[in-house]
Amino acid sequence: MTDGHLFNNILLGGRGGTNPGQLKVHSGGIAWKKQGGGKVVEVDKVDIVGVTWMKVPRTYQLGIRIKDGLFYKFTGFRDQDVSSLTTFIQNNIGVTPEEKQLSVSGRNWGEIGLNGNMLAFLVGAKQAFEVSLADVSQTQMQGKNDVVLEFHVDDTTGANEKDSLVEMSFHIPNSNTQYVGDEA
Amino acid sequence: GTGDGRGAAKASSDLIAYKNVNDVPPSRELMIQIDQKNEAILLPIYGSMVPFHVATVKSVTSQQDSNKTCYIRIIFNVPGGSFSSHDANALKFQGAIYLKEVSFRSKDPRHISEVVQMIKNLRRQVTTRESERAERAT
Repeated sequence: MTDGHLFNNILLGGRGGTNPGQLKVHSGGIAWKKQGGGKVVEVDKVDIVGVTWMKVPRTYQLGIRIKDGLFYKFTGFRDQDVSSLTTFIQNNIGVTPEEKQLSVSGRNWGEIGLNGNMLAFLVGAKQAFEVSLADVSQTQMQGKNDVVLEFHVDDTTGANEKDSLVEMSFHIPNSNTQYVGDEA
Repeated sequence: GTGDGRGAAKASSDLIAYKNVNDVPPSRELMIQIDQKNEAILLPIYGSMVPFHVATVKSVTSQQDSNKTCYIRIIFNVPGGSFSSHDANALKFQGAIYLKEVSFRSKDPRHISEVVQMIKNLRRQVTTRESERAERAT
């Protein structure tokens, strides 16, 4: 390995859960291969618009945001990987990784942040969770203050989770000024 | 900083599930879990286990369809409900957006009925304790 860094047992996270695989971060971009074959993710460095690090329970998560709004989450890095990869990404991909923080306070109130296809629920400026709007099959208003998101039921991507999110709703009180309701 | 908690009883809005990221228990499987000790419900959302303090939960129900697929719905407290403490919460966090409801489909009906029972018990326990605490403080 002269060009880049190779990591085994990196989880790609998404709608159906997580899958383990091998991640290569090289001077041309990143490549992830599912363990045992199957899914492959390849991103050219010119398509990478943002990189984030987040400390999650017992490990680190690397977020790669690409041009078309998609966001890949890779989990399973050690402390020392973070510093070496940060330098490598800065020098070779030309993007400076930003640090995101995870909220574990357990609150259900906060703010909504939208970035590309990702909707993040933020508690005290830290991220509690995020979902991809690309997986939303339907949205509807319930009454004047509630927004319901329905998610595709996806059985095709090797989902490994036992319980799968199918619906989520947010309550936006009248006091909220971030999203002013449509008066029409 | 989670409020100074000076003297008065803690509002349920001051309850915290975890202080640090590493306090969240490891999970072998992506499924709804209950952490009794920290009074937290952990929900699998996009490959991560996301904690909610049980005090944020208003109700939990489950149902099973003809294909033996099971659904669980968790409804959280939002302002404007019947609990005065949550109206205080609404004042304190004016402008906030609330997660109101989540629904999950499960492959394991027994696990879901266990989860529903555990959430109900834990919720009852915490509610009782907090109202006793509030009474003592007045």
